Amino acid sequence: MQTSSISLLELTRRVAALVQQPETQNVWVTAELSDVAVRGGHCYMELLQKDERGLQVAKARGVIWANAYPRIDAEFYAATGQRFATGLKVMLRVSASMHPVYGFSLVVSAVNPDYTMGDLLRRRREILMRLKQEGILELNRQLQWPMPTQRIAVISAPGAAGYGDFMNQLYNNPQHLRFVTRLYPAVMQGASAPKSIIAALEAVAADAHMWDGVAIIRGGGATSDLQAFEDYELAANVAQFPLPIAIGIGHERDITVLDYVANARLKTPTAVAEWLVAGAENALAFVMNAGNRILQLATERLTGYKEQLAHAQGLLPIAAMTAVERQRSRMERAGAALGNLSARRLHPQLTRLDMTLQAIAQAAAKRIERERTRLDSRLTLLEALSPVATLRRGYSITRVDGHAVTDAAAIAPGTLVETTLATGTITSRTLPPRTLPPSE
Amino acid sequence: MEKTPTPVKDLTYNQAVGELENILRLMQSDDCDIDRLAALTRRATELIAECRSRLVATEDELKAILNPQ
Repeated sequence: MQTSSISLLELTRRVAALVQQPETQNVWVTAELSDVAVRGGHCYMELLQKDERGLQVAKARGVIWANAYPRIDAEFYAATGQRFATGLKVMLRVSASMHPVYGFSLVVSAVNPDYTMGDLLRRRREILMRLKQEGILELNRQLQWPMPTQRIAVISAPGAAGYGDFMNQLYNNPQHLRFVTRLYPAVMQGASAPKSIIAALEAVAADAHMWDGVAIIRGGGATSDLQAFEDYELAANVAQFPLPIAIGIGHERDITVLDYVANARLKTPTAVAEWLVAGAENALAFVMNAGNRILQLATERLTGYKEQLAHAQGLLPIAAMTAVERQRSRMERAGAALGNLSARRLHPQLTRLDMTLQAIAQAAAKRIERERTRLDSRLTLLEALSPVATLRRGYSITRVDGHAVTDAAAIAPGTLVETTLATGTITSRTLPPRTLPPSE
Repeated sequence: MEKTPTPVKDLTYNQAVGELENILRLMQSDDCDIDRLAALTRRATELIAECRSRLVATEDELKAILNPQ
């Protein structure tokens, strides 16, 4: 018996015919995106459904053909600020399709961004609410950037365009402001990004003393799946990080939960660098202004002192003359006063002196007079007592051998006798003695 | 207190800026006498040069950073 068969192609065509029924065409379906990839203008993805425990309960391949992808992408990005990326919840209009070679897939023809937006906001709100309840939402935002901020730990994907932009902007600043950076590499895309960034943050924290702050940057790139940044663990790590963090992940419209918890929220890596440069420029401007101000003040003071000096110099000759003049008149006054004073003091002294002198003179004169009188009386007495006076009265002195003789009996007859008269001397020889009658 | 000022190299940036502000205040007040004017200005100049050198990298440093060998 001949067993009949059909070709594989025929079978797949039959399946395709069964699949492509009105019930499976242009159906709005909600799913979570995974493994989004753009190849040859077409966008391929996995559509997932998970249960409460996160286990996959349904999975299908999805595709947006190149003729529809730009429109859908633009519409989605305009509304959500996101591009199709892993983890996003989406509402898509799909048609089930069965291809003989490529198999089953869902061809996407439209997207409802509101659904994604609502889901994103809800999830972000949940994260923020939880951080707030835990009291850590504002912690990093309350930190101060040191003045100046020059030592930046950079968390980025090495070799990423955004990192290059950041470094160029930072180091090619016109004022040559000095910065020190070190790259702490991290995966910045996909589901592993949060864990990788947290690990990088921990590495920075270990060197915390070396850094003033952290820049978490990621260049936009063609597709930016920022969904990965909507992560509670990452947000909690950023919020509680001990150094201030500046975030620059993506393009103008990209907002993630990190923008709510990080200290500084900038749009792009370049913007982060510009912001850091501006901060350092302020520090430099402050120093230079202080310098100018001090120079100006010093100059003003110096000018003031010079003027003062010049003024003093002008006054000096006059002042000297007046001073001399003043001194002179003072001396004169003092001299006069002294004269008066001496006169008053000296006059009695002099008078007393004069009187003393007179007294002395008088006393001397008196004394002399008295002495003279005494002398005179003595002279008289002397004259009276002198033998000359007796001789004049007729008496004479008889001497033998120079000795006066007062007893005639003592003279032997014939003795040579010398008789002194008032004037002249007689020499004679005695006769024998006779007894003289008693004196008349 | 200003007998032997700390060498500017040994100051933190904040200390240097703080001292700069103090000098500024002093010079704006009437307490600044001429004997200290020169010393204060010299000190301020040193502080500014130090702060500036900490903020601004030289051409050579930049080259080294941007073109690592």
